[in-house]
Amino acid sequence: MADEKKAVEKNIPEIPKGEPSIKTDVIDPISLMQYDACTRCGECDNWCPTLDAMKRDMNISPRDKIGRWRNFMGKNYGLMARLFGPRKIPEEDIQNFNDHLFHCTTCGACGTVCPAGLNTIEMWEATRQQLVLRGNGPYGKQSLFPKLIGEMHNPYMKEQKDRLLWVPDDVKIADNAEIAYFTGCTAGFNMQVLAVSTARVLNKLDVPFTMLGEDEWCCSSALIRTGQPHIGDTPREAAIHNVEALEAKGVKKVLFACAGCFRAATIDWPRLMGRKPNFEVVHITDFLAEQVEQGKITWEKSLEGKTITYHDPCHLGRHVGVFEGPRKLIASMPGGNFVEMERNRELQRCCGAGGGVKAGIPELALGVASARIKDALDVKADILSSACPFCRRNLGDGRNSVMSLETGDFNKRDNEGNDMQVEDLIVLTAELMGLSTKIKSET
Amino acid sequence: MSEAFSYYSGVPTFIEMLSIAMVAILIFLIGMILNMKKWGGGSIKAFLSAFIKSASENKHQSIVTSLVLDILLQRRLLRRSPFRWVMHMLIFIGWGGMLLLSLVFAAFEMLSEIGIGSFDLNAIRNSFDVPNEVLGYLLLLGLIIAIIRRLVLSEVSKRTQIFDWVLVLGILFITVTGFIAEGYRPDSVTAWSFLGADAALAQSLSLFHVAISLLFCIAYIPFSKYMHMIAAPLTIIANGGGE
Repeated sequence: MADEKKAVEKNIPEIPKGEPSIKTDVIDPISLMQYDACTRCGECDNWCPTLDAMKRDMNISPRDKIGRWRNFMGKNYGLMARLFGPRKIPEEDIQNFNDHLFHCTTCGACGTVCPAGLNTIEMWEATRQQLVLRGNGPYGKQSLFPKLIGEMHNPYMKEQKDRLLWVPDDVKIADNAEIAYFTGCTAGFNMQVLAVSTARVLNKLDVPFTMLGEDEWCCSSALIRTGQPHIGDTPREAAIHNVEALEAKGVKKVLFACAGCFRAATIDWPRLMGRKPNFEVVHITDFLAEQVEQGKITWEKSLEGKTITYHDPCHLGRHVGVFEGPRKLIASMPGGNFVEMERNRELQRCCGAGGGVKAGIPELALGVASARIKDALDVKADILSSACPFCRRNLGDGRNSVMSLETGDFNKRDNEGNDMQVEDLIVLTAELMGLSTKIKSET
Repeated sequence: MSEAFSYYSGVPTFIEMLSIAMVAILIFLIGMILNMKKWGGGSIKAFLSAFIKSASENKHQSIVTSLVLDILLQRRLLRRSPFRWVMHMLIFIGWGGMLLLSLVFAAFEMLSEIGIGSFDLNAIRNSFDVPNEVLGYLLLLGLIIAIIRRLVLSEVSKRTQIFDWVLVLGILFITVTGFIAEGYRPDSVTAWSFLGADAALAQSLSLFHVAISLLFCIAYIPFSKYMHMIAAPLTIIANGGGE
């Protein structure tokens, strides 16, 4: 009865007798094989950031989730299922599995440490999509993403015509240039300090850049990460739209200051389009590291003896492999004392915002962020830097929670009076280059 | 067939031995077909195409490097836990080594049976005694470590399932039966010779050991945790390997 009630609540069609309870048609064969490759060693559990934040509730352990889905597949597609027909899997089991699967930031730490080399990010995302198609997923407010991103082209209910409202008078944007800056929804609408800092740094470096402006659509990362890429085919449309618009401008290089957009443009867009774009995709930290190496950056201020640490965003580091650019940039900043947190680079602890967790399960996001803040406090960091708007927001929330601070205005630079500042590298770069980081409304 | 040879095999005739092996291989193949169909959404071709595509696209390193460093030497596990690496390598080398020796000897047997070549099977068999013994102990040591780890470490113990125990205890049982069968051999020179010389019992036990080895270590692979032995290397190749 409980199963039937849950299924009705979730609007899940009744499975005809003799039919499998689950399907696997949108999960790629390699991911399905990987469910059988797990050796159940449990190494993933040692590194899972959500498992730590959930007080080791083993229902959300990567190993257990793999085991449960493998059992589901065995019941529906294994030897006994072939001989005697698929066994019905209780709806409650599937729904619980779904909910536990969405208690994951898709940070990929589990796959990084897996001795069998499982690509867990692909497994989780594909399985989420299968469960969304079935009617079990997504989780909480994640269900708003398709409508918002599909119709508004951003997840914040903003108008496309307002895409450039953040641009202050002093910023020069070229109509045409070899380099484009893909702002992203968060920096453009809700975290404008990142956009103004990026633009001013590029202006100062005499790097002409253009933008898509009103023609820029959300990268759709949130839809892909939460297993909803099929709804309205929005990610594919967005990939085609953005890539074709950038190609029409004739750009040769596109800079991203958002790790989520960067991941989408590097991995998801080519996959969705079936081809690589005719331009280079570069994260701003790698670009600035190159500028440092070429001696083009002149620092006008110093970090004044502050201890700075760096949090690798999952989408920038583990997902794509950008680890050293941000570190080269920090190393070049004068007057600072750079320290690594114990977990860094590919073994970093996720900030907690990814995989739709910030929207769907905010208390879990906060729990993971708090753990990361403690990592930074352990090395006595005065500045916790990162290179992703979502990390900045969630680590900021974590810092405020751990240090009992009031929620600040994430549109603006973090309060320099905070005991530990949580700030993006592009903002720190702008400041140390002697540039204003004030957003338009402050000028 | 010489008496000594018949005795060694533990099976009255080569045909019976071959029959058990064929049944085991057939079950294994059926299981693999079912698994590949499961992975390929009902189509083996779909799985193989996806695998070849993935392996050719994800080229962080050569396949040879993946085979040697990631699959045979298991460097990903070494990086995470030298202790578990030692444990797993003992099992891997012991199990794999004995499988390899069994296959080589089976090949000699087969060639002799069909009349290709003339081999001194007893001499070949005897030359395998020491390596088999050493490999057997490596396997036994690895299994003992694995069992103690699962019993003693509370975090590991709590998460251990029947799925895990069946494999470890199954191989342990087979390993021990192998040593016992060896111990009853009249010409046994192993530590297990204290069991006493009993040619008839040794032959029966040897038959039992061979049969359960083939059924558990070959036929059972696609239906158990054993499957990781095939799926994990394929995963490493499909994902391009690397640390």
